[in-house]
Amino acid sequence: CKDFLDVPPQGQLSEDAIRTDPAAAQKLVDGVYNAMYLGGFDADMHGLQFVILTDVASDDSDKGSSPNDYLANAGTVDNFTLTASNGTVNNVWNGYFQGISRANQALDKIPLSPAADQVKNRLLGEVRFLRGYFYFNLVRLFGGVPKLDRVPLASEINSPEFQKRASAADIYAFIISDLQFAVDNLPLKGATQTGRATKAAAQGMLAKVYLYQKNYQKAYELTNEIITGKSGAYALLPNYADIWRTAGANSSESLFEVQTGVNAACNNSAVNLYSVSQGPRSGGKGGWADLGFGFNTPTQQAADAYEPNDVRRAGTIIFIQPTAPAGQRSTGTVLWDGFRIPSKDSVENFRYSYKAYHSRTKEPNCGNNDYLPKNIRVLRYGEILLINAEAALQTGNAAAATTNLNAVRTRAGLGPKPATLANIWQERRVELALEHDRFFDLVRQESVQPGMIVPLFAAQGKTFTKGKNELFPIPQPQIDLSGNQLTQNPGY
Amino acid sequence: GATTAYAAPAQPVLDQPITLQVKEERMAAVLAKIESQANVHFQYSRQLIGAGRRVSVNAVGQPLAQLLNQLLEPLQVSYKLVNDGIILRPAVATAGPEAPADATVTGRVVDEKGVGLPGVNVVIKGGSNGTQTDMDGKFTISVPDNTTLVFSFVGYTSQEVVVGTQTTINVALVPDAKALSEVVVVGYGTQRRQDLTGAVARVDGAEIVNQPVQTPTQALQGKVAGVQIISDGTPNSQPKVRIRGTGTLLGGAEPLYVVDGVQTTDIRNLSNADIASIDVLKDASAAAIYGVRGANGVIIVTTKKGALGKPVLSYSGTAGFKQAARLVEMADASQYTSYLKDVSPTTVIPTTTGNTNWYDEILRRGTYQNHNLAVSGANEAVRYYFSGNLLQDDGTVINNKFSRLTVRSNTSFKLSEKVTISSQASFSHADTRDVNIGTAYGNAYRAAPVIPSKLNGLYGNTSAFGNVGNPILDIEKNDIKSLENRLQGNIGLDVRPIEGLTLRSAINVDLNADNRRTYNYQFANNATTFLVTGGNQRNDRSNLGVSQVNAYRYLWENTATYQRNFNDKHNLTLLVGTVTEEGLRTEFSGIRKNVSADPDQWYLNTGDPNTAENNASAAKDRRLSLLGRINYAFNNRYLFTTNLRYDGTSKFNRDERYGFFPSLGLGWVVSEEEFLKGNTTLSYLKLRASFGQLGNDQIPADTYILTADANIPYVFNGTPTLGAAIRQIKDRNVTWETTTEYDAAVEFGLLDQRLTGELTYYDKRTTDALIPVNIPAIFGDPENQYITNAADITNRGVEAALTWRTALGGSPDWSYSLGANVTFNRNRIENLNGGQALFGGANLVTKSDNGVAAGSFFLLDAIGVYQSADEIANSPRSTVGPREIGSLKYADSNGDGVIDLLDRRYFGSYQPPVYYGINGGLNYRNVDFSFVFSGNLNNKVYNAKKQLRTSNTDNVEASFANDRWTASNPSNTNPKAMVPNMPNSTYFLESGSYLRLTNLVLGYTLPTALLERAHLGTVRVFAAAQNVFTVTNYTGFTPELAGGPLDSGIEATTYPTSRTVTLGLNVNFK
Repeated sequence: CKDFLDVPPQGQLSEDAIRTDPAAAQKLVDGVYNAMYLGGFDADMHGLQFVILTDVASDDSDKGSSPNDYLANAGTVDNFTLTASNGTVNNVWNGYFQGISRANQALDKIPLSPAADQVKNRLLGEVRFLRGYFYFNLVRLFGGVPKLDRVPLASEINSPEFQKRASAADIYAFIISDLQFAVDNLPLKGATQTGRATKAAAQGMLAKVYLYQKNYQKAYELTNEIITGKSGAYALLPNYADIWRTAGANSSESLFEVQTGVNAACNNSAVNLYSVSQGPRSGGKGGWADLGFGFNTPTQQAADAYEPNDVRRAGTIIFIQPTAPAGQRSTGTVLWDGFRIPSKDSVENFRYSYKAYHSRTKEPNCGNNDYLPKNIRVLRYGEILLINAEAALQTGNAAAATTNLNAVRTRAGLGPKPATLANIWQERRVELALEHDRFFDLVRQESVQPGMIVPLFAAQGKTFTKGKNELFPIPQPQIDLSGNQLTQNPGY
Repeated sequence: GATTAYAAPAQPVLDQPITLQVKEERMAAVLAKIESQANVHFQYSRQLIGAGRRVSVNAVGQPLAQLLNQLLEPLQVSYKLVNDGIILRPAVATAGPEAPADATVTGRVVDEKGVGLPGVNVVIKGGSNGTQTDMDGKFTISVPDNTTLVFSFVGYTSQEVVVGTQTTINVALVPDAKALSEVVVVGYGTQRRQDLTGAVARVDGAEIVNQPVQTPTQALQGKVAGVQIISDGTPNSQPKVRIRGTGTLLGGAEPLYVVDGVQTTDIRNLSNADIASIDVLKDASAAAIYGVRGANGVIIVTTKKGALGKPVLSYSGTAGFKQAARLVEMADASQYTSYLKDVSPTTVIPTTTGNTNWYDEILRRGTYQNHNLAVSGANEAVRYYFSGNLLQDDGTVINNKFSRLTVRSNTSFKLSEKVTISSQASFSHADTRDVNIGTAYGNAYRAAPVIPSKLNGLYGNTSAFGNVGNPILDIEKNDIKSLENRLQGNIGLDVRPIEGLTLRSAINVDLNADNRRTYNYQFANNATTFLVTGGNQRNDRSNLGVSQVNAYRYLWENTATYQRNFNDKHNLTLLVGTVTEEGLRTEFSGIRKNVSADPDQWYLNTGDPNTAENNASAAKDRRLSLLGRINYAFNNRYLFTTNLRYDGTSKFNRDERYGFFPSLGLGWVVSEEEFLKGNTTLSYLKLRASFGQLGNDQIPADTYILTADANIPYVFNGTPTLGAAIRQIKDRNVTWETTTEYDAAVEFGLLDQRLTGELTYYDKRTTDALIPVNIPAIFGDPENQYITNAADITNRGVEAALTWRTALGGSPDWSYSLGANVTFNRNRIENLNGGQALFGGANLVTKSDNGVAAGSFFLLDAIGVYQSADEIANSPRSTVGPREIGSLKYADSNGDGVIDLLDRRYFGSYQPPVYYGINGGLNYRNVDFSFVFSGNLNNKVYNAKKQLRTSNTDNVEASFANDRWTASNPSNTNPKAMVPNMPNSTYFLESGSYLRLTNLVLGYTLPTALLERAHLGTVRVFAAAQNVFTVTNYTGFTPELAGGPLDSGIEATTYPTSRTVTLGLNVNFK
């Protein structure tokens, strides 16, 4: 009788199937990577909403689009008037915890797999790399957050163990243990499929975490391993602008990218809305088939941050030509693939992100603009050099700092500069502009050398409140759902 | 002619061998036994033939005729075989020399339809002399002075007529729907109404077939206390049914339907004309025999069977029109233009001379017709009923169409005295052309009236101006069609090895195959489609989607029933049985793009293979149950019923999957006691009380099992690779949701059963209700919820029903009845998991929390309109909307000095505290008239369509354009403008009270004389109207709004309820 009522789920993998299928553990690991595609207007890891919390929040860019569009979600982030009920903050919180949950489910099931230990350790390493990276973004966005180091039982859903926030220090320790495990167990680039986490990716990510921890010695050592080629062959890509094109995907400069492509249904092998949401938007008299929603427009200050002849300015920003005087024909802006954007009278804003631009004609795509296959460059060699330069400077190794800083400048077509902290930070700004790092970097730099961040935003007419705006609010719905076990960040 | 039918009885009936041995039993009981053995029906007056007398019979395989002769002759009763039974009456010889008579009275007795009633007892009051009517209902009787005649017939209310000086007396008898001897279906058996200890209500098939409605469920509206039917106007939509309040929060709030033993959740496949009766099991004691399936009540449908006699062919049909019953008047072009100029001066309004009423453009008068042809009959071995039904209901929205063909076959074969095989089966084929009503209706509400609708095949471009799609285009550029085939039926074997014991084994199946095809035309926002180019209403690539659902559900039931009467005092019925159930539903779907616009090409193979997508899903579940029941009645007075059910389900894990659900019912028929017997003022009084428990497992099949979704892609080495992910959180320990119900009732009949009624108190508590509970995002579930046992729900209430039924002023030409039922229900949620409230509805307008009703509206209190700068300065600041002169003012309910979402409060729910029905009938000779009212009192409706705006250019209602706040019209209720993103507030909340004339029927039965020449049995013509008018203060389309437990009563884009007017014809051929 009992057997009659044991009905296995139809058309879905059950836990039993995972135990017996040698490929199942690998599949669950790949499913964790897939979480990085979350975007659109729902749960988000690397889509428009993540861009809003990282770029739009910074001094590098403004909300963009038309003035009233997405005002409540993005406009309030742009000018620091957001509240705990901001939907974007909630969606990014949701996205990252979905990724962490998938990672925990995979970590829970990998040990059940019949695969060899070495394989299982690589799989565990990949997942712990991803979990560490996800938590690194969370801790930078929110400070201390709930620490989910395993799959909770349904009965534990209201348990304080999971609902209450761990301290930021605890989360950093958790991230470091995940990334260290990844460093110890991941293969080198080339010894695994392109797109999988590698030893160098884990070392680079861990170095960046140590930079935030002000553990410059560790940051230096880890980046040095990469620079000295012990973790595989990495180098700067000669043409800066190529980095964000299909041609530059997974180049010598790449340590870790969100991999994208085209699947048959054209709906789930890229980050939802990433590219199209940042594409230049028709406005004024319009009259052309525009490229997107026009969010994340670079500020004048960002454009002005570049030294003359810096090739990175043109590689980072699409500049819209001013409206031609009456009687003259406007030239418009011709992009690298030949696409011509008309002048300002037909375009909503003056500047757009070139790094997010994906060519509809010269790069692969399947016609669905919501899923243009643009790889997101999460960690690249240029940043490794700058982390190394900063860490070297802070540990008294000025020579190494100078070498690495100037390696980055040389590729940008600029002459050498002395490796001061200010110079390295300025270089980070222009080298990594619109790469979803600037806001975190500003907050980090302020903690190293206070007094800069408030005037910087004041110059853009925005009031950054110290002690509050370093972090985003914990989403109010999540506080409500936790029965107030989650506590709010100061000032919200 | 009539005489032929009278003289040609199917003689073999009387040759049937009967085996019957009884000693000193009441004659009525003996006759009943003969009835069940011989499949005959006796018609008689207990009083006239003295059916209370005790008789003994000892017959083994005796022909029926012989047995009847032996039995009846000594009792001086004669019998006559007629088409539908055997009439018993006092033997003529026994009348002896007639009493001295002053007059001979002749007359005719007819039924409610004017058809002559044979076998009616006509007795002189206070004496024993009398006669019976003949085949045409005619009678002759000699009466002394000052005589009152009493006309009585089983199943009809008795009537008394003072003879006076009349020599001709015609009488119309009214059916006694509450007849106490009526047998109701209680699940795996039947019971006399008088013997019931639970709450069971019956609606006769005749009441259903009179109504021009598509599903029998809808015809129940207003008929039964405690049963709320909420239907919408969409062709082939399934009405929501709430029996004694909303008892659960998940999908399983609907009752179980049982069609001739087939358990199902949907009876839209049935033809109304095939239904003999519907019984509604309302309380846990009555429904307990269905255990796991019966927690929200059970609706038992019994279809027609053949009656003894030669084949009878009958036709019933209706045809008519339907149209939207009530529309909302939108601002016309000039109102709109002046409104928009005021609220959005910068908007450039297109200069057209047009004035479009978008509702007129997408609505029409639809046709409705329903034809049913049936042949039925029976002889001693075979009983049959075959029917075919064709229904067409085109709805009231353009392009919408629905038609359905149903074929039914009900047969039973008596193989021997001990073995019967029976089968009921219906096949239906439904063809639906759906419209995208949600989008079109929402757009019709918002589209600007200054845009032309469609000219010379080109659409007005509402999207280029106001970002609202053209509703006609929404309908015409999407072609949605579904074909549904359904086979529902059973085959059963009954064996009676010894007297009183029946063994039954039956297989019930419900097979469903649904093919759905959606085609979206390609069109651009250019001059080949639109009058003006631009806008975002376009579809770059045509799209063809098909899906196929195949489902089966089978139940194998084995029961043993033992029925015995001891010493004529102890009546005992025992039932034990097992039920085994399995259901499987599979769905396959495919999509391709770039498919030609030619409907002949709308098959997947013609689409671009590079765009092909396909998908499938499946769900399977099983149940295993043991059931038992004891019915015991002592002396027809003291009643005892207990149901026991042990259920196992595949939807819970091994440790949780079995549940035991008992019930107990007690009854006392007070009027059978000596001190009340024969009392005609209080002719019937019964007290009953019951307790019962029921389970509910209606959650998705794999709710407790952790599963991984397959084919989750990620790109490695530049190629998409398929991974898997465990995304959903599952509660491994989900278990039974249990409903416990107490029920106490008094049933009464007054004034010789002219006034009958019932008053019931019930207390129903659902514990461990299965609910999708919102969980924090940190658990990573994409929907942020999981299903668990997380709340208690109580429904307490009183049901009352009262019926008055009599002839008018003693005249035989008139009779009438009047009935009313009312239900007072109080729904509350308690013990929510972790105190976590559940939000639901559009814009999360409802919140269901401890201490309030499920689906309570949780809103800001709109207390007026800001009239002056002073008023603004003196009111709290606000985070939920502008504080401008002419904008809505919300209450700072919590007094914290700021108006924000924390000021939301509960303002009632859609669940009515009171709902009611009033029905009545009037017969005058051959004319019959009936009506049904139904309605709700004191519930709330949320007019969400007013709030769901995306732009200032969306149209407004005409009343708002006229009555809104302006400097010259300082309204304190309406703001100056309707704007997007207005918060949920009481401004949109309206009263849901209404009174609706649900059904009106006027019929005329042709006189028999006319028909005889045409060889017709009976012919009745009638006119029927459904949803005639509604009295309500609600300003939207309808206050009757179907929805789920958490989102009922929200009008956003509902299909308009329709008014149907039809003419109908019922014919029985001879």
